[in-house]
Amino acid sequence: MAKKITGPQMILGNYLDDGRAVFFTRDGGWSADTSLAAYEEGEALDDLITEAGKSTANNLIVDIEVIGARVEGGSAYPAHIKHAIQAKGPTVRTDLGYQVATDWEAA
Amino acid sequence: MYAYDKFDRDMVDVRVSEFRDQVERRVKGELTEEEFRPIRLMNGLYLQLHAYMLRVAVPYGTMSADQMRRLAHVARKYDKGYGHFTTRQNIQFNWPKLSETPDILEELAEVEMHAIQTSGNCIRNVTSDQFAGATADEIADPRPYAELLRQWSSFHPEFSFLPRKFKFAITGADQDRAAVKWHDIGLIVRKNDAGEVGFEVLAGGGMGRTPVIAKTIREFLPEKDLLSYVEAMLRVYNEQGRRDNKYKARIKILIEAMGADEFARQTEAEWERVKDAHIDVPAEEVARIKAFFTPPPLEVLSIDAPALEDLSKENFVFAAWVKNNTNAHKVPGYVNVTISLKPHGGIPGDASSEQMDLVAALADEYSQSEIRVSHEQNLILPHVALRDLPAIWTDLDEAGLGTANVGLLTDMIVCPGLDYCALANARSIPIAQAITKRFDDMKRLQDIGPLKVKMSGCINSCGHHHAGHIGILGVDRKGQELYQILLGGSGAEDASKAGILGPGFDEHGIVDALEKVVAVYLGERLDGEEFLATYRRIGAQIFKEAIYDAA
Repeated sequence: MAKKITGPQMILGNYLDDGRAVFFTRDGGWSADTSLAAYEEGEALDDLITEAGKSTANNLIVDIEVIGARVEGGSAYPAHIKHAIQAKGPTVRTDLGYQVATDWEAA
Repeated sequence: MYAYDKFDRDMVDVRVSEFRDQVERRVKGELTEEEFRPIRLMNGLYLQLHAYMLRVAVPYGTMSADQMRRLAHVARKYDKGYGHFTTRQNIQFNWPKLSETPDILEELAEVEMHAIQTSGNCIRNVTSDQFAGATADEIADPRPYAELLRQWSSFHPEFSFLPRKFKFAITGADQDRAAVKWHDIGLIVRKNDAGEVGFEVLAGGGMGRTPVIAKTIREFLPEKDLLSYVEAMLRVYNEQGRRDNKYKARIKILIEAMGADEFARQTEAEWERVKDAHIDVPAEEVARIKAFFTPPPLEVLSIDAPALEDLSKENFVFAAWVKNNTNAHKVPGYVNVTISLKPHGGIPGDASSEQMDLVAALADEYSQSEIRVSHEQNLILPHVALRDLPAIWTDLDEAGLGTANVGLLTDMIVCPGLDYCALANARSIPIAQAITKRFDDMKRLQDIGPLKVKMSGCINSCGHHHAGHIGILGVDRKGQELYQILLGGSGAEDASKAGILGPGFDEHGIVDALEKVVAVYLGERLDGEEFLATYRRIGAQIFKEAIYDAA
C-alpha cells in the first residue's frame, strides 16, 4: 500500500540535459534554489503535481518526485536528508554542486 | 593486453553512433524517458542524485597507460576533474551532460574502451585478480578466459534481458583476490590430476539484501568447454529465474530454491544439448587471445636494492609502503605496486585527472605501460623493478597517492553512498573519512595488522559489507542515518558472511564502536593472529558486550 502523504510537499525533478536536481517554483518554473520552490498539501498538492508534470511532456524535466517539505519563514526546504543533499551537492565535496553558488548556511 | 580487432572496433563504433542518434532523439522529444531509460542504462548512463553518472568498463581490471590518460582527459573535459574507481573494477564519472555522453563514448572508443553492459539485466564487466599474469601464486593467467567471456557475453542476444544483472569473476590463483565466491558465477583456475588446466565452477553467490556464498557446481571443467558450460548455466537461469520480483530474481535465489545439486544436474543436462553447438571457440582462437597476455620480457634482477634499503631506514612511511603496498612478482627482482586510493581524510576510490595522468606516466616509465584496477578500489602498477620503488613512491607521495595502508584498516571498500547515489539510505564517505582520521597513526595501523573494513550506504551492498572482516551498513531510521556493524565476513578463498552485531549507531557512535571492536581484538589476539582468525576463535559475544554493555 502506498505511503500516505501528509504535510507540505514540494516537487523535485532533474533537468533532462544535465540531470541537475531542481524544484518546481511558485512561478511555474524550475530552480535549484529551494527558497523559490512551491509547496502545497491536501487537494492543492494535486494541482501542483499536475502543473509540474507538464514539464515532462515539454521534455524539460525527468524523474519528477513529490517530497516532504520543511517550511520556515514562508520558504520550503527538503525535509529528508537525501533530498537536502540532492539539493545542495555532495557533503564531501562542498566545492561541487549547487551549494557552491548558494548561501546554504542560511537555508 | 588484448587489442581490438576490426570486429571489436566496429562493434563499439556502431554502438556509439547508435547511442548518439538515440540521445538526439531523446533531446528532441522523439523518445520518451520511459523509452530512453533502458537504452541509456545499457550504455552505462545512470541518473543519480545530482547529475547523470557514466560507468565505464575496465575489462577484468586491466588497462593501458594511454587508456588511463584518456580517462583523465574525459574527467577534465566533460566532468569535474575526477573519477571514481569501483568494486567492479570500473570507473564512474559523476557529472556528465546527457548531450555530451556520445562524445565521451566516442573518445573512449578511440582507446578501446566503452560503457556497454555496465548496467542493465545483462552480463556485466567480468572481474578478476588485479595481479593476474604478474603474481607468483598463480596457476595460469585468468585474463585470456575473462576476455573470452567478455567477447562471448557482449551483446549476447539470448542474455541481454536476463531476470536480473549477472556478474562473473575469475581468478587463477589459490589466494582469491577477486571475491569469486560472492559472484553469480565464479571461476577458479585449477589443474586436474593429469596436470590439465580447467576451472572449478561456482554459482549462486551474491551480496545485496540476501547475501549468499556461491556453491561449487562442477569441481573441474576442462578449459576448452568454458563457454558452452557457462552458456548452459545461463540458459537454466534465464528460463527459470524469477521475473515477478526483482528482489528474488538473481541466480542465487534460484539456486537456493532448487538446490545446488539440482542446478548442477540441470546445467549438465542443458550442456549435453548445447556442448556441440560450436559455442566453444577453436583452440587457435584461444591461443590467439592468450598471445595478447604473454608476460612482458623481464630481465631477472637482483633482489638487492641499496636505494630502497637506504630510504626504508630513514623513512618509516616508505618502509611501511614497501611492506604493505607491494607484493611478490613471478620474476625475481620485481613486485606489483598497489597505489592506495584511500588517503586518510580523502574519498575512497576517487582519483583526480592529475593523479590519473601521473599513474599513466609512471606506468609508461616503470610498469610496461600497464595498469590494473582492483575490486578493492586501488590502482596497481604491475611488473615494477624493486630498484625503482623509491622513485615511484616519491612521485606518488607528492601527488597524495603514497598512503601506505593497503590491506590495513583504512584501506576500506566504500560505496559512494548518499552523497551521490539515488539508491543509498545513508552516507558512507564521511564515515570512512572519520575512521581514517581516528586511525591516522601508521604505527597503530601496522600493529593492528591486516583488517578489511567494508562499508555500504544501503542494503544493495556495493561496498561489500557482508564480506568485510568488519562490515558497516548504513540504514535510514525515520530520516536519520544509522550505521550497523557486522563482523566476520570474508571475500577471500575462506569466504564467509558477516553477521550483524546489534542495533545501529549514529555517525559518531559507529567510529567509537569500530574502535572498541579493534580494542577487543588487540586484547584477545594470540601471537601473530589476524583479526578474522581471532573473531572466528572467540565469536561475536565478547565484541557485542564491549560495544553495547558499556553504552
